[in-house]
Amino acid sequence: MQATIRIRRFNPEKDKKPYWATYTLQDCEPTNRVLELLHRIKWEIDGTLTLRRSCAQGICGSDAMRINGRNRLACKVLLQEFGENPKIQVEPILGLPVIKDLVVDMEPFFAHYRAVMPYLVNDSPPPIGPDGKPRERLQSPEARARYDDTTKCILCAACTTSCPSFWANGAYVGPAAIVQAHRFIFDDRDQLLQERLDVLADPDGVWRCRTVYNCTPACPRGIQVTQAIGEVKRAIRAGKRDY
Amino acid sequence: MTSLVLTITETLRYRGKLGQWAWALHRVSGFGTVVFLIMHVIDTSWATFYPELYVKAVDAYKTPLFTVGEFALVACVVYHALNGFRIALFDYRPQWWRRQEDAAKLVLLGTLVLLVPAFFIMTGHVVNYYNERVSAFDLGLEKVVEATAPFAVGTVVVIGLALIVSAGASLIPALNAPKKRLKGSKMETFMWSFMRISGILIIPLVFGHLAMMHLIQGVFDITRVGHVPVFTNLGPNMNETLTAVNFVRLRWDTMLAGVYIWRVYDILLLFLVTLHGFNGLRYIINDYIHNRLVNRALRIASFGTMIGVILVGALAILQSVPATTAEMLSEASRAIEMSINSGILVR
Repeated sequence: MQATIRIRRFNPEKDKKPYWATYTLQDCEPTNRVLELLHRIKWEIDGTLTLRRSCAQGICGSDAMRINGRNRLACKVLLQEFGENPKIQVEPILGLPVIKDLVVDMEPFFAHYRAVMPYLVNDSPPPIGPDGKPRERLQSPEARARYDDTTKCILCAACTTSCPSFWANGAYVGPAAIVQAHRFIFDDRDQLLQERLDVLADPDGVWRCRTVYNCTPACPRGIQVTQAIGEVKRAIRAGKRDY
Repeated sequence: MTSLVLTITETLRYRGKLGQWAWALHRVSGFGTVVFLIMHVIDTSWATFYPELYVKAVDAYKTPLFTVGEFALVACVVYHALNGFRIALFDYRPQWWRRQEDAAKLVLLGTLVLLVPAFFIMTGHVVNYYNERVSAFDLGLEKVVEATAPFAVGTVVVIGLALIVSAGASLIPALNAPKKRLKGSKMETFMWSFMRISGILIIPLVFGHLAMMHLIQGVFDITRVGHVPVFTNLGPNMNETLTAVNFVRLRWDTMLAGVYIWRVYDILLLFLVTLHGFNGLRYIINDYIHNRLVNRALRIASFGTMIGVILVGALAILQSVPATTAEMLSEASRAIEMSINSGILVR
């Protein structure tokens, strides 16, 4: 099976602006992933093609890119989805500065991530176990289930860079940061609730979300992103966790 | 501006689902409606302040270009209303998100269902008008230019002044300190709720307004000889010489149960729609214009225009209250004051 791949390429040392390059690969299998095709291009045709990937198993979140117009993980997209002799178009995710080819500068994205304080805060002394030693803070299965969905985020930025509000204004914290905030806002062991809600009630916080729903289908982990943002908005208006 | 261009091209290129297109249509229809709103309120206020200008404006409204614009306006308002209801619904019930795409389809279907009969009736008004006309068909371009030019000039002047104010403000260091960290904004939180609640309140009001002014009677009826403005109860004898100004007065002076029903209705509509529309405009400015100077200038211009539109609209409605009513009101308040003073009534 033959596959044709169009890649949006850009080398800041050589190119004034990005351009499209087309590559044709023979002997592809329907079970090949887009990432494997990119590897073959880099290894067999043009070693200068630059991309990010680590685990190649859909877990590390390194290879988010725009594949045929939608944000996906290159390691999770099989060729069979595109039919016989597929034509595939690959470009970097939008809204973050392109460093080279498919690699973008993730720093603004992580700055937003850090802004929502993505860590559990609880300054009270830990509970004492039967053996008289401090032990872990227990949580009921129901309380744990409340934020289960948003624990699945791998910070690949597919949701944030699918959002028209983020394309328009990079100051918006973006869906991923709100998903991460949701994970701690609805965790009943956390003691930083009011500070978290205050950060997200910023004009560049949740209120820039216009309920466009691009982020939900973009998530490779199936997180219900827009719902999570909606729940955070409700918590902010109510000023408490169980609105 | 680059961010606006980028958003437009990438919205066209990104394969978002229906929600993305619903959002794009919502923005475009909302923006179009605000632009018309500014013109409409100021034009209508002339019925009170400069009657001869209002007559001219209504004359321009009858030209073919404005007729096309009227159809577009009705389409914008209907879509924006139904899609706004969808957004509010899913914002208050985020867990229903699986149905949002169905809802977006329903919104499109609903828009179509409402627009087909509406356009049918509106076309009827247009056909009637051109059948009755004696003079030859006229594109009336000079009327259109005359009606819109003051607004174009006004926009340039207001933005120019705002740029000067904004440049002045950029000299004040406190206003230009870079943002250090994210901090909750009560205003932004309030406006988010306000947009949804006002939007839902506006829906029945604006649909009623469209039905009264564009369907049951059209812009061509405003000056039709012998036409009695709908839902008014002042005799038709006044209408024999119906002028555009007269039409407005007949509506506003109509009383129901001792209340100037259309004055109350129009003021409610004016406040809700203007606040809603200009806050939407503020969202658009903040989303796409990042240059500090220009962003602040546009926000100042938009805020100033909003205050102006509300003031001019409200004054036009209130100042045209017939003198006798105004006297009655002041007499009543004097009577109340006297009875309080003489101890009959306790405050």
